[in-house]
Amino acid sequence: MTLSVSGLSAVRSGRTILHPTSLEIPLQIRIGLVGSSGSGKSTLGHALIDDLRAQGHTVAHVPQSPDEALDPLRSMAFHWREAETALGLPPGSADQAGLFGALKIEGGDLSKRPWGWSRGMQQRFVIAMALIGNPDLIVLDEPTSALDPVVAAATMELLSAFLTGKDTAMILITHDLGLAARRVERLMVMDAGRLVETGRTEDILERPKTRAANALSTHRNWMVLPC
Amino acid sequence: MLKVTDLAVKRGSRVTLESITLSLPAGETLAVVGESGAGKSTLIAAILGLLKPAEGEITWNGKPARAARPALVMQEPRAAFNPALNLRRSVMEPIVAQGVALAAGRLERLCAGLEMPLDLLDRRPDQVSIGQAQRAGILRALIAAPPLVLFDEPLSALDAVTQKHTARLISELQAEEGFAALIVTHDLGYAVAHGDQIMVLKAGRVEETADANTFALTPQSPYCRTLRDAAISLGALEAAA
Ligand SMILES: Nc1ncnc2c1ncn2[C@@H]1O[C@H](COP(=O)(O)OP(=O)(O)OP(=O)(O)O)[C@@H](O)[C@H]1O
Ligand SMILES: Nc1ncnc2c1ncn2[C@@H]1O[C@H](COP(=O)(O)OP(=O)(O)OP(=O)(O)O)[C@@H](O)[C@H]1O
Ligand SMILES: [Mg+2]
Ligand SMILES: [Mg+2]
Repeated sequence: MTLSVSGLSAVRSGRTILHPTSLEIPLQIRIGLVGSSGSGKSTLGHALIDDLRAQGHTVAHVPQSPDEALDPLRSMAFHWREAETALGLPPGSADQAGLFGALKIEGGDLSKRPWGWSRGMQQRFVIAMALIGNPDLIVLDEPTSALDPVVAAATMELLSAFLTGKDTAMILITHDLGLAARRVERLMVMDAGRLVETGRTEDILERPKTRAANALSTHRNWMVLPC
Repeated sequence: MLKVTDLAVKRGSRVTLESITLSLPAGETLAVVGESGAGKSTLIAAILGLLKPAEGEITWNGKPARAARPALVMQEPRAAFNPALNLRRSVMEPIVAQGVALAAGRLERLCAGLEMPLDLLDRRPDQVSIGQAQRAGILRALIAAPPLVLFDEPLSALDAVTQKHTARLISELQAEEGFAALIVTHDLGYAVAHGDQIMVLKAGRVEETADANTFALTPQSPYCRTLRDAAISLGALEAAA
């Protein structure tokens, strides 16, 4: 089975922010969606998710901001129960302790509302909710943007373990090409609302063809650690 | 000069910050790093006067820090804006509130440095990308030339190229205007490149404070080692390793 969408586009206030885009997403593939800030990554992510869900596929989504996934007036425990219910699971059946342990959020107080958790903790909670089920596709929008490198590494490990042995495909939206480099086999590069380059990860990193891919690949290692 | 002395902050019955002492002179940058949940945003909230210290004090030139009207760049970019107003109204709010004049060309210069077309400001916060909202937040914090700016992960939603340009604009402006900057970041490369001092927070306490050069030259720094290992396993350090 391949997930396929065609002619996705988005117009806002008379501006085309996503030009017609078609995609084929094979089972088990891991794709990185990269591009400069404002190039249309989140827009494509949303359009893709809506279209696939309308086709009856299950898609898990970790939005760029935890605010999109968490109701400020509901407790974290409530969100967790809702996530289970949405998947038709009985309450308490998901491996919460295992996920929380791997994401290092065991200490979080579930009776609190989202704003009683730090931003990075909220982000990991949303990732944990996305990893309960067995979706056809998981789309993660900048999943480590609020995390320090230690926790980010643990999170990416958990994600790989989750995907291993499953049919689930993954789209990782990120501005961090270093992060994507090792974890995805294909890259899609966006610029001004268009997919301008797609290909194997090594090819794009080593021989970028477009200006957008070249800029990202040249500035890949912003993090130069002093030790 | 910002001075924090023996600060403790409680949230409910939990102590979230303990024995925090720091000083940040005008014109300098203190980079605050540390694990997610360590208390970095809590420290900023305390300096802003949003949380009352359980112990200790926070002063700016000897007066309560609130008096300096510190500017804030919030960690959650869109939450920083009134959803009903266009960005221009929100960005200009410090100018209006403080009754100061906007220097000619300042808005244009800041927008150019942040790679933001001016017409982006005519949109509402939900009509721009999250990285654009983050840069609008930086714009608002800097627009009225404040003496003290608190940045909570100011580059987290930006791509590498935009990060570099944004960091450069912040430094240039700081060199000209002399504001004190407290920058929370999980990017140690940024912290060392732009910080005068680096403070590592762990579970609500200061694990170490050092000037950036010493920190960079001290491979024993345990936090630095942990981070380096994590960065290598993430792939962020591939080229250097
Ligand atoms: N309602 C709207 N009206 C006009 N333009 C919009 C609207 N919503 C989004 N845009 C524009 O669409 C473009 C794509 O936004 P999107 O959020 O998809 O970018 P992104 O690649 O995810 O950026 P980031 O890395 O900053 O999150 C941006 O330039 C944004 O300003
Ligand atoms: N409103 C709140 N009420 C109670 N506890 C809170 C509240 N906000 C944060 N906390 C808790 O205080 C601790 C410190 O949170 P803080 O937001 O300062 O962390 P941080 O270092 O900024 O983390 P991150 O890097 O994830 O943003 C965390 O354990 C968090 O769960
Ligand atoms: Mg986005
Ligand atoms: Mg924080």
